[in-house]
Amino acid sequence: MEANLEWYIGLSTILFTIGALGVLTRRNAIIIFMSVEMMLNAANLAFVAFARHHANLDGQLFVFFVMTVAAAEVAVGLALIVAIFRSKQNINVDDLNLLKG
Amino acid sequence: MNTFGIAPLILIFPIIGVLFNGLAGRRFIEHDREIGERWSGWFASAMALMSFAIAVSLFFVLRGNEYHAETITLFDWFNIQIASWGMNFHIPWAIQVDTLSVTMMLVVTGVGSLIHIYAIGYMHGDANFSRFFTYLNLFLFFMLILITGNNYMMLFVGWEGVGLCSFLLIGFWFEQTDEKGSAVNVDAARKAFVANRVGDLAMILAMSLTFWTFGSLTFDTVFAEALAHAGDDPGAAVVYLPWMFEEESEAIEPAVAITHDEMMTDDHGEAVDDHGEAIDDHGEAMDDHGEATDDHGEAVDDHGEAMDDHGEATDDHGESKGHYTPVPVDHQHASGGLGISLGAMLTAITALFLIGATGKSAQIPLFVWLPDAMAGPTPVSALIHAATMVTSGIYLIVRSNVLFELVRESGYEMFGLISSPTLVAYVGAFTAVYAGLIAFTQFDIKKVLAYSTVSQLGFMIAAVGMGAYVAGMFHLITHAFFKALLFMGSGSVIHGMEHGHHDLHGHGHGDDDHDEDAHGDEHHAEAHGDHFDPQDMRTMGGLREQMPITFAVYMVGALALAGIFPLAGFWSKDEILAHASSNGFHPDGWQFEFIGVYALLSIAAVCTAFYMGRQLKMVFFGEPRHEAAKHAHESPPTMTYPLIVLAGLSIFGGMVLNLPYLFGEHDHAEGFYLMLEQWLHHSITSFSLTEAGIVHMPHTPLTLSYMVAGLSTILAVGAILGAFYGLYGNRPQTADEKDPLESTPIWWMAVLPLNTLYMDYLVPVFNRVADWTAFRLDWEIWHDMVHDKLIRDPFVGASKVASEIWDRKGVDGVVNGVGRVANWLSGVMRLSQTGFVRNYALSVFLGVVLLLAYFWLMAS
Repeated sequence: MEANLEWYIGLSTILFTIGALGVLTRRNAIIIFMSVEMMLNAANLAFVAFARHHANLDGQLFVFFVMTVAAAEVAVGLALIVAIFRSKQNINVDDLNLLKG
Repeated sequence: MNTFGIAPLILIFPIIGVLFNGLAGRRFIEHDREIGERWSGWFASAMALMSFAIAVSLFFVLRGNEYHAETITLFDWFNIQIASWGMNFHIPWAIQVDTLSVTMMLVVTGVGSLIHIYAIGYMHGDANFSRFFTYLNLFLFFMLILITGNNYMMLFVGWEGVGLCSFLLIGFWFEQTDEKGSAVNVDAARKAFVANRVGDLAMILAMSLTFWTFGSLTFDTVFAEALAHAGDDPGAAVVYLPWMFEEESEAIEPAVAITHDEMMTDDHGEAVDDHGEAIDDHGEAMDDHGEATDDHGEAVDDHGEAMDDHGEATDDHGESKGHYTPVPVDHQHASGGLGISLGAMLTAITALFLIGATGKSAQIPLFVWLPDAMAGPTPVSALIHAATMVTSGIYLIVRSNVLFELVRESGYEMFGLISSPTLVAYVGAFTAVYAGLIAFTQFDIKKVLAYSTVSQLGFMIAAVGMGAYVAGMFHLITHAFFKALLFMGSGSVIHGMEHGHHDLHGHGHGDDDHDEDAHGDEHHAEAHGDHFDPQDMRTMGGLREQMPITFAVYMVGALALAGIFPLAGFWSKDEILAHASSNGFHPDGWQFEFIGVYALLSIAAVCTAFYMGRQLKMVFFGEPRHEAAKHAHESPPTMTYPLIVLAGLSIFGGMVLNLPYLFGEHDHAEGFYLMLEQWLHHSITSFSLTEAGIVHMPHTPLTLSYMVAGLSTILAVGAILGAFYGLYGNRPQTADEKDPLESTPIWWMAVLPLNTLYMDYLVPVFNRVADWTAFRLDWEIWHDMVHDKLIRDPFVGASKVASEIWDRKGVDGVVNGVGRVANWLSGVMRLSQTGFVRNYALSVFLGVVLLLAYFWLMAS
């Protein structure tokens, strides 16, 4: 059975929402990081689904870019988390409130 | 090289003196008091004398040039093209050498030099000796700018400059205080400055109007323009903005002409109707003019009627239209100006000049500063507040004589009541009487002279207001001689009294100490000590024995001022009185237009003689009434020699300068008769406008009027004798006596029963009037009421409103409010910065949601 576009988009939406909720509610920096990755991949899924639906390769091309950027982001982000852990001995984002007005 | 080229030197010498004394004088004196004073004083005097020498040379140069005026331009001050007006705002820094300015130069530098020399003796020992001479030289510099400038702007620079020097010199002893500890000298200086500022404002307005009307401030240009357009039609309301006349050739759009039809009719209708008669009969023309103004309102209301009128006017006077070229009216309207006649414009200018002159020349209503100005050192009173600066108002009017005469000839009257030159004459005459009466009640030797100066300036103002410019200048010159003499004589008396008092109390000190004491210190000590006032005439008496030279010269000065034949004052005062009584100005016979002025001036002349007699009696005759008067002694030669020179001038100055013909009728002045008249004739043009054009008229009656001269002499002698033997003759006044006018001579009453009546009723009444004028009218009403309540209090109130309400609450409120709002807003805004990452993420998320919602709503 061929999956319809709606199914892909539905999955993508669910994944994106889970990711967004994760970013908003979790306090562990690594979990937030993973949630961001999940949102990116939800977008990737939507890109691929639409590309296939329209028979256009642009969407797939974009996914490569997103994956590249995500890889770079992981490199920087994990380095930051390690650096924060070294100085604070935890990675609870609520403790990182130096910008509080 | 033109010999006129030496003229700028007259300004350069005083400024060298200023620089020398201002920069180095103090060092010299600190180094060695004796030699330093000699250097400082004599250097300043030498500079004044050099200026005098230049003035004398200019006199001869001018004579060699057949009295033709010459202008030496030093450099441009303003040179601005005003394209929209098609004209040039050009004010050069130029010196005008003509007979009038040379006359003033001679008086200012001549009398000024004598006073410089006198001041060396008078200021001996003063702590700020060199500062005094710096100011004196600076004063000379500015006064010379005032009288040499060839335009109103330079005149104004000098006008302000001498005001500044007056301020500095009145407040010269600024540390001195009275018993209550208030700085009286500083107050007097400030008062003089502020009162003068009122006049200066009028001067600025007058200058602005002059420039607006004539497009220039240079004397020659202004007068030439005024004269060129005066003949057009003195009664008609033509706009005189001559710099617009040049564009007359521009075609006028008919449509524009029609829109101005009613204007022309209103303004010209009546005048045009009367055109033929207007010049023959000024009075009638003026009545018509008044009507025309009344009609104006109607005409505007009733457009149709106005148009009808216009039709008539054009029909009747089609040919005369070209005569006074109404073209500029339209042109002017196109330029957005006002339709004002030359007469009205000149009336405004001259009336403002009059206000300026009342400030500087101490006339009603701005004379109040001059009596207070006596707080300054006596040489200053002599130089600035008697001989030179206060005459600058008279100089201004004499210099602007063309404008004043044009107003007189245009017949334009302010509010339909009085023309501005006549107003000048009456202001002067009233001031002469008013100040003469106040002088009666004064006990301060200098205050008497101060009010006398105000009174004499009134004579001059009255003279120039009547058109007797030469008589006014003549009195200005002779007055400079004898009033400088009187002031310096009184300074000598004060000096003598101070030293007498010092000797009296200074026996404990050594003699060396005596000479070293500074004047300021003496003033100071005595003001606080036993309240001995060296200027109070009640403490004097019998000084003729202690101070013979001062007595002799003072006598000459007083008699000259009183107008006793043949001293200087007699000739000059008589010339003014003769002019007032005859007024031979109009070609159509003798008119007694100024008979009121004559009456007032005669009363003032009697007052003059009386208060001078009173002063002579109180100061020099009788017995000494105070120990200080007994011990007074004669002043040093630097003080007495200038007095002797001035006494000589006071005796012979009048006869030599302007001796009138003694017998018979004469058409014009020549030979050694009326030399001043001949000399000034080259810069003062008196004239009368008739249909034939401009006719030059003789300035004053050329022959001595025996009736006027005899009457004034009898009155003056009578007043002096009355003062001597009538009121003050029976016994010496004592220092604590209240009012000598009240203590009546007993023998006189016994001899003449009529005098009982006189003394019981007339003298008290007179006393009360004089008292009333001096204390109630002058002091309480004018000084306290008008100046304080009406002018100062509202001003202070307005300032308070401006500072406390507008500035503190309004301006500061806005500024502080902005700050407070920013502060509060930031307090609110910082709450949004929680520092929690998820909050920021949520706001991003919400933003996206909002954006999506927006797009979704837009799309649907």
